[in-house]
Amino acid sequence: MATTRNKNRMLFLGVGLSTVSLLLTGCGAGSSNDGGGESEAGEFTTLSVVENTTIPAVLETLAGDQCKTAADAMPLKVDTVPQTSLDQQLQLQAGQGALPAQFAAGSAPALTKELADSGNVLDLEATLNDLGVIDQVEPAAIDTVKALYGGFNVLPYEYNVEGIWYNKQLFADNNIEVPATWDDFTAAAETLNSSGVTPLSASGEQGWPLTRLISGYLFSDLGKDALQKVADGEAKLTDPEYVEAAAAVADLGSKGYFGEGIGSIDYDTAVNQFLTGEAGMLYMGSWVLANFNDEAANQIGAENIGFMPFPKVDGGAGIDNQYAANVGLPMAISEKAYNDQTGEWLSCITENYGSVGLAEKGAISGFKVNEEVDVDPLTQTVQDTIADTSESVLWFEALFGTQATTASQTNAAPLVTGSMSPEQFMDTVQSALK
Amino acid sequence: MQSVLGDKKALIILLGPALLVYTLVMLVPIIWSMGYTFFSGNAISGFTFAGTDNFTRLFTDPEVRTALSFTVRYAIVITIGQILMGYALALMYVFILKKSSNIIRTLVFFPVVLPTVAVALLFQKMFEIAPQNGLVNSLLNGVGVESVDWFGSSSSSFWVIVLMDIWRSMGFYAVLLYAGLVDIPEDMLESARLDGATGWRLIKNIVLPLSMPVLLSSIIFSINGTLKVFDSIVALTNGGPGSSTTPLTLYMFRTSFAFGDYGYGSSIALLLTLLCLIVTIFIFRSSRRDLTKD
Amino acid sequence: MSTQAPDQKVPLEAMQRQEPRRTRSRAAKRWAKLPVHLLIALLLVVVLYPLLWLVLGSFKTQQEFLNDPVWSLPGSFNFDNYVEAWTTGNLAVFVANSLMATLPSLALIIVFGVAAGFALEVMVWKGRNGVLLIFLTGIMVPGQMILLPLFSAYFNTGLTGTLWPLIITYTATGLPLTVFMMATYFRAVPREVFEASTLDGASIIRSFISIGFPMVRNAVFTVALVQFFFIWNDLLIALTFANNSDLSTIQVGLLNFTGQFGTVQYGPLFAAICLNVFGTLAIYLFLNQRIMKGLAAGSVKG
Repeated sequence: MATTRNKNRMLFLGVGLSTVSLLLTGCGAGSSNDGGGESEAGEFTTLSVVENTTIPAVLETLAGDQCKTAADAMPLKVDTVPQTSLDQQLQLQAGQGALPAQFAAGSAPALTKELADSGNVLDLEATLNDLGVIDQVEPAAIDTVKALYGGFNVLPYEYNVEGIWYNKQLFADNNIEVPATWDDFTAAAETLNSSGVTPLSASGEQGWPLTRLISGYLFSDLGKDALQKVADGEAKLTDPEYVEAAAAVADLGSKGYFGEGIGSIDYDTAVNQFLTGEAGMLYMGSWVLANFNDEAANQIGAENIGFMPFPKVDGGAGIDNQYAANVGLPMAISEKAYNDQTGEWLSCITENYGSVGLAEKGAISGFKVNEEVDVDPLTQTVQDTIADTSESVLWFEALFGTQATTASQTNAAPLVTGSMSPEQFMDTVQSALK
Repeated sequence: MQSVLGDKKALIILLGPALLVYTLVMLVPIIWSMGYTFFSGNAISGFTFAGTDNFTRLFTDPEVRTALSFTVRYAIVITIGQILMGYALALMYVFILKKSSNIIRTLVFFPVVLPTVAVALLFQKMFEIAPQNGLVNSLLNGVGVESVDWFGSSSSSFWVIVLMDIWRSMGFYAVLLYAGLVDIPEDMLESARLDGATGWRLIKNIVLPLSMPVLLSSIIFSINGTLKVFDSIVALTNGGPGSSTTPLTLYMFRTSFAFGDYGYGSSIALLLTLLCLIVTIFIFRSSRRDLTKD
Repeated sequence: MSTQAPDQKVPLEAMQRQEPRRTRSRAAKRWAKLPVHLLIALLLVVVLYPLLWLVLGSFKTQQEFLNDPVWSLPGSFNFDNYVEAWTTGNLAVFVANSLMATLPSLALIIVFGVAAGFALEVMVWKGRNGVLLIFLTGIMVPGQMILLPLFSAYFNTGLTGTLWPLIITYTATGLPLTVFMMATYFRAVPREVFEASTLDGASIIRSFISIGFPMVRNAVFTVALVQFFFIWNDLLIALTFANNSDLSTIQVGLLNFTGQFGTVQYGPLFAAICLNVFGTLAIYLFLNQRIMKGLAAGSVKG
């Protein structure tokens, strides 16, 4: 008994001691990081998302080269959070008036607009004019940003065009012409389907690749402002002409054009189905070029991939050669943290990001490319498309709030599997619009 | 003696730190957030007084109704599953395996150690239908049953979630309940055996009542954990398909931080807290009565 | 694992005592045990197969993940994925962060929680049921609810940008369950033990340290184990308060392997998970030994 008690006391002492030592460890950990937290004012802190490795890498390159002067005065510091917690972090940090100098825009433009309304986001149109570098940004990109964010509030670090990629070989084997109209498109899908190829590869798990088809149909049928009208309250998604678009996409699903298990197909799987030749077409943005140029992944060969605009709906009011454009992960500059040194960074990024990004990472951005850069043929195709396109459209959820975006993307798979009717789908999204 | 057991200074030393930390870091923020239930808005654009709007909205919001019904169904099924599986395993450890229980106990505990992200990926792959059949669909095909799109409908994804959460937590509850079962004095079991009680009767008349305190903590713990489920659903289905597997916590999190309506989010949290409170008090009361009866 | 016979005193003794009363032959008994063995085999397959899959997965290439069936073997066993996970995944930093956040909170939870459980169950004073109920509420409130107020509190006290918010929040959120469970365990200890010790003239704190704490040692290890995995696997609090990559815990770090448009680098992710799992497993096995020792010591107490 006596020894047991001694052991017990030892144990208790042990727990106590380890507590103290651990507290000290914790303390050490705390104090070593204190410096980072406090000296934010003197650093060009950029809050990005962990999922994007391109932008931080190019910024680091700039800091060591073209933007060395700016970086000497105000060193670059990149913080990253996962995409899932970005909105939450922006909300929390803005609530404390503590947004960093530059931050990735939240997943819905509504959040950036809200931040702008509360004086947290720098007006880039005015600032870039003052700095004399506004002509270094592609006008098309500025237009897309304005259409999305209600003003030139964010920097277009990425610029993507979206359209339909198709397998040239499969099209030739089945005597399919590149479809120009929606009817040609469904006919092509039917031909592919009957020859045992999945006509369209899409990720129902992500949802957006499916809703892009709905918006493509809407823009082509009702015109470029179809969804602006919905956002302004002039039209409702539950109006018959809008439901028709959802029905058209649901129809593709009921005919089995997406293959099996659409709801659980994730992004990689969708792209992979296209690159292994299991699927004939893929609706995707130009960011997918990285996968196309990966020789291990691309089994059909880059030369076999074609790119076409969204097919035109018969008698529709839409534009010719309809591509959707987006700005990927754009970044806003904090109005509260803006000063001369930030301005120096801003003009340097605007002048150099375009060419450095393309040369280093093959990244297509909304900044002008000022130097000659060698690129692969597919990237060239995309660049030509951007150059030839004067007008572009947005996507389904572009003007929606987060709630409607979530409603739309999570219900896209049920729509195409038939467990939700087109009316129900549009009604759910409409009621989430508030 | 009573005065020693009621020594105020000792009380402050023993209870003080816990109560202080708990009050500052949990109680105060909870009450703070409760205050937001009367406001709408968020930390960016500021809060505006909304009276009882949030509460009326709570009762009319169809999303809340779906989330509530999912949460309750989930909590009931998982709690029953976890406790039954855990108790069965614990009984097996104590009465059947005995000597070899240590290694089995350690192995069955493995899934608890796996990160949620990993477990969810594993189950997605096991139940997948595209691009190729996962393990489950292959087995189904083997016995001549068509492949099932498990995550395509709300009822099948519900059962995948149930399966996953019971799989990953049964080892945990087994260890928890096992600790209670080994604490049963051996002489009590022995005297019961001498009275001729064996097998099921021994469990029902002796083991079950004696392990009641730990069983009770486990049930309260399980139901409160499952009513507040978040991580595993976010990782496995992210609330889908549609919002049919969205629990109250996820809806609350989205409302507060993605939709930017912190006041309404707090109201949803309040609803959930009340639900937990009622259930816990109910279990607590009924079991206390049971215990005093013995 | 299989060589710790001394830990198994209780069941062994129980078996020996039972042995003489059994009348069936050994062979019959072996047959009777067959269903049990089958059951255990099934249990182990269900539990272990996924782990095997995880390990195999950590050696596969991205193409093998996407194009081959789930149960296929990796084409070759090399450690590219592990190197990738360790270097680009920054795992060492994440592991260090996780440890520095988890261990101090765990120690605080145990010391504070056991003492409070003792004060609430063994000591006699007015209002203790009320206080116990207040702690109980803590189990019921969803963690999402305290995030916003805490974020601004940590920000205004200058703790943001350190690991302190994690340690403090984990300690506070771990307390309710610990206090509640410890109170339950103390309830099972006969009151006379403490009454006798206080009659001897020992102060209540002394009898807590020398009698109360040791008596619930099994429970302490169980609770510590429970809390360890809660904290270690937490995602919500870590995502909210450890808001830059230098502070990320291992769980948040695992999210790094997801790309911008939902792409997942399966191989490195699985390698990272393996490193994480087997590291945690080592800690668990160590703790498990302690629990067993605690149980063995506890059984002699009567």
